[in-house]
Amino acid sequence: MAEVILQGVSKAYNGRPTVHAVDLTVADKEFMVLVGPSGCGKSTTLRMIAGLEEITAGRLLIDGADVTHAAPQKRDIAMVFQSYALYPHMTAYRNMAFGLLKTTSLGKTEVDRRIRAAAEILHITHLLERKPNELSGGERQRVAIGRALVRQPKVFLFDEPLSNLDAKLRTRMRGELKRLHKELGLTVIYVTHDQIEAMTLGTRVAILSQGSLQQVGAPMELYMRPANTFVATFIGTPEMSLLRCAVKADGTGSRLDHESFSMVLDADAANPDVFLGVRPEEIHVHPHSVPGMARGIVERTELIGSEALAEIMLGQDRITARMPVADVPESGAQVSLSFDLTRARLFDANTGRALAA
Amino acid sequence: MVISTALSARIREAGLAYLLLLPSLAFLAAFTYWPILRSIWFSFHDVVLGDSKIIWLGLENYQRLLEDRLFWKAFGNTAFYTVITIPLAITCALLLAVALDSKLRGMAIYRSAFFYPVMIPSVAAGMVWVFLYSASYGPINKGLSLIGIPDTAWLYDSKWALPAIMVMSVWKYSGYFMLILLAALKLVPSDLYEAARLDGISAWNRLIHITLPLISPTLYFVIIIGLLHSYQIFDYVYVMTHGGPADATNVLTFYIYQNGFQYQDVGYASTLANVLLLFVGGLIAVIATVFGRRVHYLGR
Ligand SMILES: Nc1ncnc2c1ncn2[C@@H]1O[C@H](COP(=O)(O)OP(=O)(O)OP(=O)(O)O)[C@@H](O)[C@H]1O
Ligand SMILES: [Mg+2]
Repeated sequence: MAEVILQGVSKAYNGRPTVHAVDLTVADKEFMVLVGPSGCGKSTTLRMIAGLEEITAGRLLIDGADVTHAAPQKRDIAMVFQSYALYPHMTAYRNMAFGLLKTTSLGKTEVDRRIRAAAEILHITHLLERKPNELSGGERQRVAIGRALVRQPKVFLFDEPLSNLDAKLRTRMRGELKRLHKELGLTVIYVTHDQIEAMTLGTRVAILSQGSLQQVGAPMELYMRPANTFVATFIGTPEMSLLRCAVKADGTGSRLDHESFSMVLDADAANPDVFLGVRPEEIHVHPHSVPGMARGIVERTELIGSEALAEIMLGQDRITARMPVADVPESGAQVSLSFDLTRARLFDANTGRALAA
Repeated sequence: MVISTALSARIREAGLAYLLLLPSLAFLAAFTYWPILRSIWFSFHDVVLGDSKIIWLGLENYQRLLEDRLFWKAFGNTAFYTVITIPLAITCALLLAVALDSKLRGMAIYRSAFFYPVMIPSVAAGMVWVFLYSASYGPINKGLSLIGIPDTAWLYDSKWALPAIMVMSVWKYSGYFMLILLAALKLVPSDLYEAARLDGISAWNRLIHITLPLISPTLYFVIIIGLLHSYQIFDYVYVMTHGGPADATNVLTFYIYQNGFQYQDVGYASTLANVLLLFVGGLIAVIATVFGRRVHYLGR
């Protein structure tokens, strides 16, 4: 069992609030990803969990024990740093053994057994006698993970461990991390600014913006039901388009009015001012003028492999649509648009909050 | 064609480099290498300051040195001074540097405070310490009398004079070494310490197993510099004790000075200087082979 609970955890640097009352529960064996733009406080939050930063306010529980002010080594956690933080003067083997030999009563044989086992899992057995400067980035990464594994801690913390690797290696390491998590039943808190990494790795994802938690949920849930416009636009590439609309009562039900189209709402919406959120794949572009459909002008198109993106001006709003390469319209062309919305995704235009539609 | 232009460009560049080096090389030759050669030549002769008559002596000066009790005393004093002062100063410097490397407030003030002795000219510092050590009105004796220790004439007591100079040297060197070591400490990535803290590695083990190996190139440099300094110690002895009492603080450089400028025996002074040079050179070679190999260069 290793459950991590953050209760109103806050951080202020010299009185300047940086992380605001984060409430988060990480279940045993969960792979929790903390994601958000640069400077939003992800590392700070992780370092507070590790005990490397003082918690200004709130409580931190690991396994039911209050460790808010406990020293790092009392928390039974291991951390993999973005820089790997391997001791440069020690071999990979010694890097993994050092902590165990100095701080536990484990014998040399048990330490050796653990290192060999971890090396086996991480495919680094042949690298154990090398020093960090004789290893590639990916290999250092593995050694750093190995150093965390041999500790057999309750919780693993990762701070952007893959950001120094090239795209291909990153994808492979992502797969390996996922495998490790599943095979060894680890409890992981993983920080990244890359939403794709977050979506592919996390059992659940916590989205942070400007020090505040925006939404916590399974990747699909975040994608399908974003809690606010920040989450809506942060998750998914290219990002969701937001169209400024007005909700009007219309006899029996209500209508959604945009400056260039109007559609029936299947539910009531309390607010008159809303954003309609549309994902690129939910937009259909018709090359010919279709009566009754919204009309837009193609601003720019871009090929992305087998598909293409088109930026289209719809009145004052710019939207991005995704389509097969064969259907790409010309720049400057007038097109008709239809939306394939199973449910209208509406957000309060003032607060940005999602409206139950 | 292309190759020859590239080659001539390189030759021109090298020529320019030598041209720029020429003035300093000329200075080095005139004021360092030539005197060294001269002193080697002098050491085989009887040379008296101000007397143009130079007599060939062969190895006589070297023989005399081996039998010279005062030479061995000065040699012993210098070695004793070095063996105690340098390790002590480096240890103090290291502890100060580690303490000052913490991110607490006001560290800049402490840093300057500890570096301050370095900026005082050694002659002035020597005078200050002569006052501090003074038997009747010196603050050190005043302080010690408070805890019931009777007055000692520190610099006039053959038992205490050399240790007294050593204490002052530690005070003077520590700040200098501290600054160099502090610069090295700043280069050790802080996440290494964080990783160690997460593992629960004690502060002592962090110092021994992480800090020391990672600053070892600088430590090595400081040891060599310290050795060179301490074998050249002259100014404190000259200002504070003039080698006395009863040659208790006579060190090699001072003995060389005495022979050359007081007794005007340039031949013998040169012999002493050559032996000192040879000895320090040999010592550094030994340290370089023993210690130099264990130095870890970050990221190399
Ligand atoms: N030691 C510190 N003192 C003062 N402010 C700090 C300190 N560390 C971080 N900050 C500030 O706190 C905010 C959050 O920093 P943090 O490192 O947690 O961001 P992050 O989400 O990890 O960003 P990135 O993706 O760039 O790593 C930033 O505005 C940063 O400037
Ligand atoms: Mg960060």
